[in-house]
Amino acid sequence: MELFNENSKLASVIHKDHSLLPVINRLGIKLGFGDKTIRNICEENQIDLNFFVETINVFHYEAYFPEKRLLDFSVSMVIDYLIKTHQYYKDYLIPENDRLIELFLSASPDENTENELVRKFYAKFKEEFVIHINFEEREMFPFILELNAVVENPEKRAQFTQKYPSFSIDSFEKEHSNMDDKMDDLTNIIIKYLPPNYDQNRGNAFLANLFLFEKDLKNHSRIEDHILMPKVKQLEKLLASNE
Amino acid sequence: MNSIYNISVVVISQSDLVLTGLFEILKSSMASEVILLHRGDELIDYPALNGHILIIATSEEQEKSGSFMRQILTTTQNIHFITLQLQPDSVYSNQRINLFDTPTLICYKVNEILNSFLSDQSKDTDAELTKREIEVLQLLTKGYSNKEIADQLFVSTHTVISHRKNISEKTGIKSASGLTMYAILKKIIDVSDINQDDLI
Repeated sequence: MELFNENSKLASVIHKDHSLLPVINRLGIKLGFGDKTIRNICEENQIDLNFFVETINVFHYEAYFPEKRLLDFSVSMVIDYLIKTHQYYKDYLIPENDRLIELFLSASPDENTENELVRKFYAKFKEEFVIHINFEEREMFPFILELNAVVENPEKRAQFTQKYPSFSIDSFEKEHSNMDDKMDDLTNIIIKYLPPNYDQNRGNAFLANLFLFEKDLKNHSRIEDHILMPKVKQLEKLLASNE
Repeated sequence: MNSIYNISVVVISQSDLVLTGLFEILKSSMASEVILLHRGDELIDYPALNGHILIIATSEEQEKSGSFMRQILTTTQNIHFITLQLQPDSVYSNQRINLFDTPTLICYKVNEILNSFLSDQSKDTDAELTKREIEVLQLLTKGYSNKEIADQLFVSTHTVISHRKNISEKTGIKSASGLTMYAILKKIIDVSDINQDDLI
């Protein structure tokens, strides 16, 4: 498996792995970049070159996870990327899933209880998922950004401890495995246990989108659990030792 | 991924060179998942690991954290170790991966062990749920807790938990709502038996 570097031409990167398209979008790049290298593009768009290269490599190659180097990136940069990922889920992947599952279920010859169940299961999954990402954006990310600001500027400390008297990042952890399980369950039910009288092409289209979602979500959880969380724990320790 | 054939291979080495190399090679093996760790005790980050596990590690690492790893892996069916031999002068053994083994040979050795897991499995389990497991599933879909199920069936909570584990392994479905879906699709329960808003 090949890793990309700053001298790789972005066009050839996309030819090699088109699943990176939404990733480069999140990093602020749209198509139409001609023959430019990653370095040129990052310079033109004022994007951190190392962050760009490492992010696409981590996504492209699942065994690649240079933890030490990833931990060097600023908290705000990582959070900005995560929020853009959430945006992509909310604006595109989820609505697309909604559309495809509806097409799929409504095409089955007899609109029956099974379809209704799959629909409900999916609706529940989606509801929980949206609650989860909203919680991160409204509670967890702001907490982390403020924590980071306090570590950089101790004068804000009193204000921070007043706002979050007994807050710790531990209270946020371990939500992800639950979402991953439900996603797995949904794909498994459709692949293994759906009654045979369904519309094949529409079923496949729905599953293809669901697998895309699954891959993206796994990567997203990986960045949150193995980069963001360790960084925040580090910040909390720093804060505690400054007391 | 979560079927009864779930087989994870865990490679432990301090060297990224070794980890990445073995990862590439094991892609063409039968493993459903390959996990790369620098130290054995990092396995604690994978509490949900189940199914069959093959751990590839040096003999030093196995001595250091072997028993700790066994303690962590309580939900697995089968744990097997294969030794990673990084000195060049060792003799052939199918229980060891040697520094100069070719990728094909490494895959062959690993697959041989993974295959033995599967043939053991097909002897003593069947993908169909047992009568008892069906009873547990029925009560589960009615919203009963493990304790309540245990009381109804006159067994211990521990037994109920182990039935639930087997049900998830056989069906590949973990969440309570997913299992309810399964039970309805397989006509184990009827939609009218359950409170749909709660359970799905």
